[in-house]
Amino acid sequence: MNVYFPLIVMALITAAVSAGLYLAEKKTAFGVWRPKTRQVLYGVIFGILSICGTEFGANAGGITMNESTAAPLCAGLIFGAPAGVISGLIGGVERYFATYWGAGYYGRYAGSISIMFAGVSGAAMRRFMFDDKKPAWYYGLAAGIIAEVVDMLLLLLTRTDNIREAFYTVELGTLPLALMNGLAVMLALFLVSVLGKARDGQNSGGSREGLVQTFQKWLLACVTCAFLATSIFTFWVEDGITDSQIENTLKLNISDVSRDILDASDENLLKVTREAAVLLQMTSKDISKVNSETLRRIRRYLHVAELDLVNDQGILTATTLDGAEGYDMASQEQSASFLKLLEGEQEMVQSYQPTGFDSSISRKYAGIALEGGGFLQVGYDAVQFQRDIADQAADATNNRHVGESGFIVICDENWKIVSDSSGHEGQDMKDLNTTGYRLDTESMPDFQVFRADIYGVPSRCMYMQTEGYIIMGVIPESEAVFTRNVSVYISIFMEVIIFTILFVLIYILIKYLIVDNIHRINQSLSQITEGDLEVKVNVRANEEFASLSDDINATVDVLKHYIDEAAARIDKELALAKAIQASALPSVFPPYPNRTEFDIWAGMRTAKEVGGDFYDFYMLGDEKLVFLIADVSGKGIPAAMFMMTAKTLIKSLAETGLPVEQVLTEANEQLCANNSAGMFVTVWMGILDLETGSLSFGNAGHNPPLLRRAEGTYEYLKSRPGLVLAGMEGIRYRKNEIRLEPGDMLYLYTDGVTEATDGQEELYGEERLNRYLNRLGSREPETICRAVLEDVDRFVGNAPQFDDITMLCLIYRGHGQEITVEAVTDNVKKVTEFVEARLEEAGCPFKVIAQLDVAIDEIFSNIVRYAYGDKSGEATVRIEINEKIPEAALTFMDNGSPFNPLEREDPDVTLSAGEREIGGLGIFLVKKTMDQMEYEYREGTNRLKIVKKW
Amino acid sequence: MTINKNKVGTEMTIALTGRLDTTTAPLLEQELQNNLAGVESLIFDLQALEYISSAGLRVLLYAQKVMNRQGSMVVRNANDMIQEVFDITGFADILTIE
Repeated sequence: MNVYFPLIVMALITAAVSAGLYLAEKKTAFGVWRPKTRQVLYGVIFGILSICGTEFGANAGGITMNESTAAPLCAGLIFGAPAGVISGLIGGVERYFATYWGAGYYGRYAGSISIMFAGVSGAAMRRFMFDDKKPAWYYGLAAGIIAEVVDMLLLLLTRTDNIREAFYTVELGTLPLALMNGLAVMLALFLVSVLGKARDGQNSGGSREGLVQTFQKWLLACVTCAFLATSIFTFWVEDGITDSQIENTLKLNISDVSRDILDASDENLLKVTREAAVLLQMTSKDISKVNSETLRRIRRYLHVAELDLVNDQGILTATTLDGAEGYDMASQEQSASFLKLLEGEQEMVQSYQPTGFDSSISRKYAGIALEGGGFLQVGYDAVQFQRDIADQAADATNNRHVGESGFIVICDENWKIVSDSSGHEGQDMKDLNTTGYRLDTESMPDFQVFRADIYGVPSRCMYMQTEGYIIMGVIPESEAVFTRNVSVYISIFMEVIIFTILFVLIYILIKYLIVDNIHRINQSLSQITEGDLEVKVNVRANEEFASLSDDINATVDVLKHYIDEAAARIDKELALAKAIQASALPSVFPPYPNRTEFDIWAGMRTAKEVGGDFYDFYMLGDEKLVFLIADVSGKGIPAAMFMMTAKTLIKSLAETGLPVEQVLTEANEQLCANNSAGMFVTVWMGILDLETGSLSFGNAGHNPPLLRRAEGTYEYLKSRPGLVLAGMEGIRYRKNEIRLEPGDMLYLYTDGVTEATDGQEELYGEERLNRYLNRLGSREPETICRAVLEDVDRFVGNAPQFDDITMLCLIYRGHGQEITVEAVTDNVKKVTEFVEARLEEAGCPFKVIAQLDVAIDEIFSNIVRYAYGDKSGEATVRIEINEKIPEAALTFMDNGSPFNPLEREDPDVTLSAGEREIGGLGIFLVKKTMDQMEYEYREGTNRLKIVKKW
Repeated sequence: MTINKNKVGTEMTIALTGRLDTTTAPLLEQELQNNLAGVESLIFDLQALEYISSAGLRVLLYAQKVMNRQGSMVVRNANDMIQEVFDITGFADILTIE
């Protein structure tokens, strides 16, 4: 193992350098160098590593193995295409010149080309297959092995001059080099990917593998399987071919030798037989008279085993074989074949075999036809013909080669080697310890290949028997498998290359034809799903994608059309909803221009089209004002609908005259009963008695309003709030009461005001609201509300409005002022003075005061005269001044008998002095000078109201 | 209201100051009843009169009716407001206003 030590060290160094440089790039200042500079540096470093691989090789079995391709591969795959190319060039060029200082000349071209190839292919793989990303470790393993396979294949191709030597190198080097190379690249990639994962954290952990990765993986698996299957098949086929080739070679050779021997033997026997026939004819005139004794004599003379005379009937007439006289040649197959001599054949030889007469005897026969019919047959024993052809047999193996280094060996029936091209003649073949021929002619059929260690060399053998000889062909195993191995290696190398090219081609085709287009479509689609419906999918690489693009575009267009339609419809409906909602809220200001007791203003600005906030106010009879502000949970249409329900419900309850706490309690019950949506509403509601200034209010979970007492500051009007309306059944709301004095102001708002947020997520807040209101002080309600809204807008800036902003402001001016006096003429002065004081305060012009004074005079005197008759009673005069118009309203009230002065006929003012009646002139005068005059008799009281503007 | 009488022979000038209304009209009526005998020319100077109500008109009508029998009556220096009352009530046609 330690011969491979340099390879292992080089593999580890390559992996370690890869990991180190990777870390350096990610963690140190090195990472901010210019990318080009870094690429060159990587190229040089890995080029040097490749040189180290060339210089420090492993020496095994007489050949030098260099691991020089791993470094350029790592550079290309891990650090980028330029680095790969640079290091490949450096390593390759150095390998070419390295022969001058000691590197093996043998793999010069193969080495330098394969190193450059490794660098360039690593670079190309990264650029074209892995999208300039590091591939997974198993690709490293494959790439490393392939690079070395290319190296080996190049070695074979550049060394065809001595294929045997080249193959020896390849056979020895392929496995360790391919393995080490693959492991080195794999380890480098593995380390780098582990480091990358540790750095990226869980980023890469949960991501699903893409189509390309899945495809790569399966394609790799398929190609690997196909490669293995083809390799096994190739091996199997090559092995079969080799076996049959060996068998044929052996068979051919031993048959050749056998024929040589047989020919010699046949020739020899025929010669003897001819001699016997001459001798026979010389000794006997009449062949038919020849007896066995004669034959025996000739036999002894010729040293043959047997002589037989057969007549023209095929019957043995004389023989040297005892008891065989009269034997019918046709009776046995062996002997029957000689009957051909009776049919015109002159000579024939039979091979050495058991005789037909007695199968325990083996003989070789030859026969010759005799003149006058019949034939002479001569039989030879093995010993006899082997003696005759020993020379030929010994020569048979000379100069005979079986394949490159195989040979033929011949032994006789006694296992004595008679001929052997390697000079083992005379040796006993059965001497297994020396020869190794494990042959048993009884159990092993001839012409069949068997394996044996011949003289210690694993070999394949085949034997046959001829003329008592055993002829055996031997081919050393190494020679038998050499051709096979060369074929198998080259086939497998070619397969590696072909499958790699196939893999890369299919991969690149799929990537460029399908995956990239899918990515492009996906990109467009994700833009579309992000809401940009204007994006067009435009992938027209082939017909399928073009039609897919068109379909998607058409779908998006249809979708866009629907969305536009729906949006338009929703817009219209929202606008409608907003209009309905707006119309539901009192929006005409001043709402009660004739009322002087209070002034009210309210406004709402919704965040979306329609909101959940609302306000409301309305009069209950003449004397009570209901006002409220509310905030429904949620926004949009549902909130608006709930708002309408709540608003209508509260109003209808309030209008029945229920006190505020019962209105809230009852509203809560009814809202709870039908609240499947689980919505709720906060309400602050007040009922103000305009007569007395008494304000009863209830709070259902709403922000407390701000109260400003006349001449005071705004303070939060805190009260214990109840639960929100529609929150829970059975809640009892409390009533709170305060008394408003003239000049008091109340500011109600929803949390849209205090929770308005600026760009820094800061809230407007209650404190800021309070401060700002105090800066405003006493203003008209509308002025207050608009100023607060402006301040909120200033605070918010460009930040969007999240919530409805709603506010309501009320100023209580008091229920006018009145004076009650006894209805006697003298008191008109008191009344006049009281009214004048108010009018002067309001800046009323002198003339108007005078006209009003006249009016008071006339009306009051009327009351004195007609209301109580003889009885005494009181009269009340109330003055209400509305400075906005401006106008003054005087109401005269008395509890006397009903009397409507407006019903009196006007006097005729055209009469002369003598005709004049003085009555009725006063009321006429008032009618003429005042702007408005109303009479009402209610609850036992005459009420005459006059209004004068100025 | 104050009433200033100035009688020179048969001519009497009455200057009124303040308000001629329900409360004060009876005073003027009393004054006229007591002093009108023998007067042939009656002059009302209303320069300082603030306003006049129907009770005051009644007194002026009484005076006009008396003076129709025994001489003449003139109303002078009525302010806007009073003039307006005269116009409205048709007194402008009855009285001689200078």
